[in-house]
Amino acid sequence: MICCKECIDLLCDYFEGTLSPDTAASLEDHFKDCPPCVSFLETYRQTSDICRKTLSAVEIPEPVQIKLREFVKNHIQSP
Amino acid sequence: MPTQEEKEQDEILVREMKAGRMEAFDKIFELYQRKIYALSFNMTRNQMDAQDVTQEVLLTIYRKIDTFQGKSAFSSWVYRITLNATYMKLRTKKKEQYVSLDEGLPNFNHAGFQNEKVSDWSKSTDSLLFSNETKGVIEKAVALLPEKEKVVFMLRDVEGLSTEKVGDILDLTIPAVKSRLHRARLFLRKRLSNYFDEYKTRSSKK
Ligand SMILES: [Zn+2]
Repeated sequence: MICCKECIDLLCDYFEGTLSPDTAASLEDHFKDCPPCVSFLETYRQTSDICRKTLSAVEIPEPVQIKLREFVKNHIQSP
Repeated sequence: MPTQEEKEQDEILVREMKAGRMEAFDKIFELYQRKIYALSFNMTRNQMDAQDVTQEVLLTIYRKIDTFQGKSAFSSWVYRITLNATYMKLRTKKKEQYVSLDEGLPNFNHAGFQNEKVSDWSKSTDSLLFSNETKGVIEKAVALLPEKEKVVFMLRDVEGLSTEKVGDILDLTIPAVKSRLHRARLFLRKRLSNYFDEYKTRSSKK
């Protein structure tokens, strides 16, 4: 059985789906007997998810949009 | 992630821009301004810096479009220009105190097994996962990431680009992208875990 440390080292590849079927199977075997690694896996995945949802919501604020349009007009469209 | 269609649209726009059609630039401006701004803002967390970077990148696209060879995707080129301009901004600032990423790993015993309880906060309610306080914790933790890890995390996990695309933009091998991504995620997970554990203790005392 692979140990927790190996398991955690492989998490990124596991989610990318790039592990060999054998390695993926031994990882899943490990998860069956190791609640701490399951918690680790779930929180690892959730970390990506909430960071994406939190940080990808960046929109250009209205005053900046106005500045950018002005900039393009003055420096690019009619330099 | 850019679809084949988006890639073809970009190629047409680039060709038209090289032929001097201003409408093509306007379209590129519409398509890319938010991407440029968001990446730069997430790297600098500063509205003024992100605005400067966006202006600079738009100007570079306009002036240097003839030097764009089309060897990699146009979007990769735009991301690269954006990152270079962002790095210049960051250079002029006081160096942040970066942390050692080793702290992202749990404690193992000599056989490599975890020897402490790992709390699973992943099924917390959305009102906790997406609270303003959690957002603050995420922003602070991301700011502590060293630049190399931060940029990979932003492109792969926040922008949602593929690992291959990130490698193309940063000129890194796939294993290098994955190892940086993994270290960033481990560090952020640890920070979030500390926060959610502390949150739980705090609310149970009420
Ligand atoms: Zn384990």
